[in-house]
Amino acid sequence: MAAERPPFEDLYREYLGRIYAYVRAQVGASADAEDITAQVFMNAYQAYGRFEARNTTPSAWLFRIARNATLDHFRSRGRRDRLQRTMEHQPLIEEDPAQEAEGRVQYRALLAQVAHLPDRQRNAISLRHSGLSFDEVGRVLGCSEDAAKMLYHRALKALREAVQKEGA
Amino acid sequence: MSERPEEVDDLELQALQRELDGAFESTRPRPGFEDQLWLQVQDSRPPQRRFGDVIYGLFQGIREVPAVPMAAVAAALVVVLGVGIFAYSGLGRGGGGGGAAQGVSSEANAPRNGTLFAGNFGRLPTPVFNNGTKNGQAPAATVDTAAGQYYGPAQLTWTGKFDLAIVTAPVFRYAEPSTNAADQFASGLGAVLRERPSGFLGSYSASDYTLKVRGTVQAPPASPAFFIFSSSSMQTIDAAGAGPRDLADIFLAQHSLSPQWSYTVSVDASGDPTRVYYERQLDAPGYGPVYLVDVNGQRYGLEVDLSANRPVLCQGVLPVSLDVADYKIISAAEAIQAALASAGPAAAATAAPAIKLTKAELVYVLAPAGDHSFYEPAILFTGTFQMNGSTLTRRVLVPAVDPSQRKP
Repeated sequence: MAAERPPFEDLYREYLGRIYAYVRAQVGASADAEDITAQVFMNAYQAYGRFEARNTTPSAWLFRIARNATLDHFRSRGRRDRLQRTMEHQPLIEEDPAQEAEGRVQYRALLAQVAHLPDRQRNAISLRHSGLSFDEVGRVLGCSEDAAKMLYHRALKALREAVQKEGA
Repeated sequence: MSERPEEVDDLELQALQRELDGAFESTRPRPGFEDQLWLQVQDSRPPQRRFGDVIYGLFQGIREVPAVPMAAVAAALVVVLGVGIFAYSGLGRGGGGGGAAQGVSSEANAPRNGTLFAGNFGRLPTPVFNNGTKNGQAPAATVDTAAGQYYGPAQLTWTGKFDLAIVTAPVFRYAEPSTNAADQFASGLGAVLRERPSGFLGSYSASDYTLKVRGTVQAPPASPAFFIFSSSSMQTIDAAGAGPRDLADIFLAQHSLSPQWSYTVSVDASGDPTRVYYERQLDAPGYGPVYLVDVNGQRYGLEVDLSANRPVLCQGVLPVSLDVADYKIISAAEAIQAALASAGPAAAATAAPAIKLTKAELVYVLAPAGDHSFYEPAILFTGTFQMNGSTLTRRVLVPAVDPSQRKP
């Protein structure tokens, strides 16, 4: 069955918020998240002519671009080490009045805990709660659906422990 | 690690999953970012491609006007959290005392016998809803499992009974609140101005909380709101035998925030914090109390979050003075037709679930419009259906103000 490619604007409007949330959970700062989100959709727009809906879902396609853009961001600015150091010493999620009002206090703390998880666990949680199926999580992370499920459940338990430790 | 029953383990993980859903759904870019970035994306096209798009558009239909911003609409799930109150009573002709001094008499300018006319406020902006479709095209199915809501394409039918005996309904208008208005609200609560952070009218401190006040958000539409974040000195409320609603009532009374308007209360005790919702009702003469809802059809008014009997968050709409004018509204038959048409032509061609809409009610929705914004009547249709063993709800909103009275 030939899968139709939706207009790019539909994709953009539908996924912008979710991509932003995913990126924000990776990098913490809203300004960086906006920059990377912009890059994601610029890249996606340029590559949309090559997107084939029968091979992958728009979700998996877009989130893979988002994951790559996030990794590029860390690589190109040498932020990975800085980020690691930052994560070791202080919460990642910055004080952001707009987000503080529109989100919830405990949500910010929770996302900060997500940001502390190892890369693949953080991605499994972020992708899953951005609405991707396990099959799609697996596609983005380059593993099978079953492996994605296991990774996610391990990540969830690790997160619970971190939250309980923080609250203790 | 000590042993724990498996079911406790599962419950904890499920609770964590719900919190994660909430955290990711509530994390969205700042207002205006979506349209700003879309312009950048469009500007990045090479000139020949733009020309190609124009030609393509001639055959595919004009798609330049952004419709419901889906990402922003998703954030509206969060705006459900950013709900509020009107510290205003006596809205509409049937309201009680304490109304705004600037209120316009709706009787003086009311239409007669459904005559087409643009009311006191001129032509109104058309409210934007999240009906799961835009530009007549069906998007991918979206399910909010936590809320049991379905936003995707659907084959809609109407099997309910809906009578709309009224031909006009009040429309409420307010002026965008200023920093002075925010300061007055804060000082009325005993909070002192601390700073004016970006995106807010002001941030204020009180002995046991921080208050932030925000103006209207244009997209996704959100009312001017206040947010009270408890500090560590916020005490638990000691009231023997009191339930969450009682505790919320006490907190609101202690902080001069008790609603002065009609409402019903619902309590969500499924997680921590427990959330107490005061769902605002406006009065539509001849119809009765009408709920205020967001772009998803979710009722809102005022919310108090309690954790172990301690208020942790309170949020509501900033008190504003409302003017009122009557506008002609569509008939029940027209509303039903509009609701069924909202599924879009593409929905019928897909494997979209068949959903019977069975309930309809008049509601009020926010239509932001710059210096002045409006609360306009709309019709909310609701139906439930089964998907993968779960019962999901599909809501459809249609504007109730007659199209001749609205800007396209």
